[in-house]
Amino acid sequence: MDVQEAVAESTPVASAEDNGDAKRGGQRKFTMGPNDSLEGKLVYEGDVHVDGRAEGEFKVTGNLDVAQGATARISIEAANVTVKGQVEGSVNVHDKLTLGKNARLSGDIVVRRLQIEDGASLNGHVRMGDIEQHGSGG
Amino acid sequence: MSSTAPAAKNRAPAAAGNGSDGAQSSIVLGPRDRLVGQLYVEGDLRVVGTVEGGLEVTGSVEIDDGGRVTGPVTAHDRLVVGRAGSLVGDVRVARLVVQDGATFSGKVSMGKQVEAPPKPVELPAPVAEPVKAEEPVQAKAPVTVVEPVKAPQPGKGQPAKPQQFHAPKPPDRKGKRR
Repeated sequence: MDVQEAVAESTPVASAEDNGDAKRGGQRKFTMGPNDSLEGKLVYEGDVHVDGRAEGEFKVTGNLDVAQGATARISIEAANVTVKGQVEGSVNVHDKLTLGKNARLSGDIVVRRLQIEDGASLNGHVRMGDIEQHGSGG
Repeated sequence: MSSTAPAAKNRAPAAAGNGSDGAQSSIVLGPRDRLVGQLYVEGDLRVVGTVEGGLEVTGSVEIDDGGRVTGPVTAHDRLVVGRAGSLVGDVRVARLVVQDGATFSGKVSMGKQVEAPPKPVELPAPVAEPVKAEEPVQAKAPVTVVEPVKAPQPGKGQPAKPQQFHAPKPPDRKGKRR
């Protein structure tokens, strides 16, 4: 949590390319800034911080968080997901999904643990359990 | 005295004492309570027991402390699934809180459509009109004519054109023309 802010301050925007991926305790991190945008498919070993605008498919071995003010039309697969901004798309979480009080999520969710704070908005289907691993069958 | 008092002595008297008009109910389904069916509450509801069926509440619903709900839930205000609560069913709510540890599966609808409570969809099957008007009507005229008329000539002075001679029309049918 505070780790993200530390990273965001020291490496303002799009640090993934130049500075290499910021490493925190051996974990790589891909950090987008509020003016960044990404379209496409991202497969990443580590954590991803989504800010600005994102569109496509994110498959992340670590944690993914969507910053407040970010707009993401993405399908997500990650270990843990924290949403504080706006997400449209399916979300598959191996462990825990957290929707912050300003989060707006529209899409279907598969998750093991779920936490929704008061004020969050959710439209979609929630299924608790393990993610079926046979790809993007449905 | 060994008082084997009935456990139905709830600590929440509000459930029973909401008779006055316009009063908002505050209902608690305790850990030994069980509801199978539909419940509509003008007010708040707290479920610590078991519910199998639908809930609609104009206020807030809280499911916690071992409460289990299986069925659709509509809360015009807020739904809280506590860390020790379980909800399996589709929900329509204005606000939703799910605490870590809660069990929840179902479809979530949040937004304006909460204001209008979902009514059971009744589909009045549109009456399919019979589209078999292809039959020539005069062929199935009520044949009350007993005698076999081979060539029905009206014979009213005018040279009647030969109509369908095999389907004799009763004379009253002709008079009803407009």
